[in-house]
Amino acid sequence: MTQFITAFFSGSAHGAIYALVSMGLVLVWRGAGVVNFAQMGQAMFTTYIASQLIMHKYSYWIAFVIALLAGAILGAIVDFGLMRPLSARKNSALLNSESMRTTIPVIASLGVLGILKALAGIIWAGEERGFPSPVSTNGIKIGTTTLAFTAFDLFVIGIVFITLLLTTAFFTRTGMGLAMRASALNPEVTRLSGIRINSVRTLSWAISGVASSLAGLLITPSTNLSPNTLDLLLIVGFTAAVIGGLTSLVGAVVGGFAIGYVISFVNVYSSPENVFLAILIFLMFMLFLRPQGIFGTKEVRRV
Amino acid sequence: MLEIKDLVTEFASVRALSGVSFTAATGKITTVIGANGAGKSTLLRTISGLERCTQGAIIWEGLDVTKLSVEGIVRTGIAQVPEGHAVISQLSVEENIELGALFRKRKASADVAKSVKEVYELFPILRERNSQMAGALSGGERQMLAISRALVSRPKLLLLDEPSLGLAPLIAEQIINAINELCRSTGLTVLLVEQNANTALSVADHGVLLALGKVVAQMPASEMIADDSLRAAYLGY
Amino acid sequence: MFSARRIWLKSSLIAGLYFLGLFILGKTLGAYNQTQLASVATLFIGVLSVTLLTGASGQISLGQGAIMAVGGYAAALLVLNLGVSIWLAFILAIVVAAIAGLFLGLAAARLTGPYLAGTTLVIALAIPTLANRFESTLGGDVGLSIDVGNPPMWLTKFLGDIGIEQWQLFVAIPFSALTLFGVLNLSRSRSGRVWRAIRDNEVAASLHGLNVQRNKVIAFVCASGLAGLAGALYGFRGIVGPSVYPIDLSLALLTGAVIGGLRSIFGALIGTIFIVFLPDLIGKVTSTFKVSEQVSNYLPALVSGVLLLLTIVINPAGLAAASTHLLKGRHRTK
Repeated sequence: MTQFITAFFSGSAHGAIYALVSMGLVLVWRGAGVVNFAQMGQAMFTTYIASQLIMHKYSYWIAFVIALLAGAILGAIVDFGLMRPLSARKNSALLNSESMRTTIPVIASLGVLGILKALAGIIWAGEERGFPSPVSTNGIKIGTTTLAFTAFDLFVIGIVFITLLLTTAFFTRTGMGLAMRASALNPEVTRLSGIRINSVRTLSWAISGVASSLAGLLITPSTNLSPNTLDLLLIVGFTAAVIGGLTSLVGAVVGGFAIGYVISFVNVYSSPENVFLAILIFLMFMLFLRPQGIFGTKEVRRV
Repeated sequence: MLEIKDLVTEFASVRALSGVSFTAATGKITTVIGANGAGKSTLLRTISGLERCTQGAIIWEGLDVTKLSVEGIVRTGIAQVPEGHAVISQLSVEENIELGALFRKRKASADVAKSVKEVYELFPILRERNSQMAGALSGGERQMLAISRALVSRPKLLLLDEPSLGLAPLIAEQIINAINELCRSTGLTVLLVEQNANTALSVADHGVLLALGKVVAQMPASEMIADDSLRAAYLGY
Repeated sequence: MFSARRIWLKSSLIAGLYFLGLFILGKTLGAYNQTQLASVATLFIGVLSVTLLTGASGQISLGQGAIMAVGGYAAALLVLNLGVSIWLAFILAIVVAAIAGLFLGLAAARLTGPYLAGTTLVIALAIPTLANRFESTLGGDVGLSIDVGNPPMWLTKFLGDIGIEQWQLFVAIPFSALTLFGVLNLSRSRSGRVWRAIRDNEVAASLHGLNVQRNKVIAFVCASGLAGLAGALYGFRGIVGPSVYPIDLSLALLTGAVIGGLRSIFGALIGTIFIVFLPDLIGKVTSTFKVSEQVSNYLPALVSGVLLLLTIVINPAGLAAASTHLLKGRHRTK
């Protein structure tokens, strides 16, 4: 029984973070039609910025906010500096090939990832460093028992749900949110409605950048910080997004928790070495049975 | 007033428009007719900015809009209802209409509310189906929605690309008549592209006949509708 | 339309020149450069597998490095546990990798773009963990070491004393040349045209009667066979283990293929040279400028990344295309 509870708590805590990563991926996918493989590189980079601030004696919360801002700016830069010129290029045979059109942005985001990792290494050296948590990381005590669940875990889960609420409200109740949804669904009609879809797309990237930063800040207390630590988080986040449906924010959260539980239960009941295989099997399962994910909408293929 | 001067638009090496020139008078309905592939849609898409012309000028109210972005052109008061009742199926009727007025919401929110009210009065069925997904609407309703989306931007020039396409003749006529009414009552300039020449010419003031990317005839609509030789030569009946 | 014989002749000529060129260089250069040349010959096969898969058939895989690992481990296990000769082990490694490619290809045929990339990434990260799972057979983190063996008598009689690095180079060269020959043929053959059709427009291709799924899988199998061979040769340097085939290897192959020219076999060669010689080149530059070690460690990665992005944005067809433009576009890239 205790095994189950441990697995459940661990799965919930980690699942919340995977949900954040997944949400960031969904935001860029919906807003720009790209899966941003550089996302965790951005998170790592902004967490380093926060870490530097903290090392220079700034309060955690100031560093937190600045990291989020940096995330937004970094996201906007990636779109403005890379993705926009990329989509503006029309006269290359390579880009006219159908499969290349979906592949090139992937390669581009991998390039960004490589650059961010190298830059982090150059600026801050590659040694691992710790990262603090704003809330206690000791198990919560109920009576005489200490749960395998900390105040920090609760904090993380809280943040994820707040983020989900805020983003959903943004998308469904604000004009800008409507513009974002519209430009993802039908760019031509949206442009004809006088909306600058380029600016809207950059905003998607910026918002996604904030989500990534958040994920980075929340996971590094337990993984420590170095240019490579967040790589695995990307594929877990990706799997979570695929499970939930790349087009759905709610799906992203559900997927995040789902994969969180899968990982934690495999960890506890089987062995840590089987985790990747478990993720792989889960991923393949989803892709074959229901490629659009649990909450996703089936894409209509235009001939 | 809209002046088109020697407009040339090319795709790969095909000239869809080979030097098109005509004028659409303010407050009047000008219709562009012609067989399939004549370049009618390309003409509208070049005006709205979705396609770029390689030569020529589009003068709208004294301003050459050929270099503006699509979004910029909308803000000069030109609104296009593209072919195929283009609405966003996964958004509701209400959201589709709201989308059309978003860009001016900050500067003219009162007028936005007014324009939304007006389109609901023009097409009451939309109010009934307000919260339904646009994809659930019938063809005619979707066309009404597409037109409404364009109208809430308070355009001074309305570009309609084959509004009757795929619609039952009765509904198509209803819609064309609604446009006609709108034009007469508000002084809206309308550029109407249509395959159905008869219906179009019956409401239009001026007719432009396009064939293979060139203007082959332009005259008052009443004359064009009566000209049998033109009809036989270019429209096939 | 080229006749089959003419294609064969042309491919033999090119591959033969390549073989001779590397051989002569191998004889004249010192030990360190011989190792680098061997890396070029080996990784050329690896980059070709990416060119074949992504450039020719339009499927992106971030797991070619993992397939290399499959080939490497297969060869190592055959040699160590079954006493198979090295040459036979290499051939069998191709087969084993091709079988892995079959499974991967079947899974991949239905996926596109980011889904394919993400899935292959997960696979690429999952395969190395097998080394730890089956630690007894696969040697865990440390891996398995292979005895490289000595050059055969007839070769030393013919060429005089051969150092270990030279021997490794001379093993890699014929495989590399044969691979080049094979890929040249393949790209000019009907299969090559079919793959390119599928790459450009799947729907149109299937409407023309091409079996899209089957051809995509075949492309995957071929590319995996190549990667397996590269992996076996790579392991031939003495050790096969997770650290020999990190995820960075997959990314390096892809980067090299893109920078060199995703659709060009010559581009694959350029890309390989880039991957192999860049770290040293940067090392020379940083030492003249007295840059700190911290920077110089990460500078190659930074330069690769920046060049990759510049290539994609400015000249997506890569350096090979740029160079043929310089040659007045006489020879068209695929």
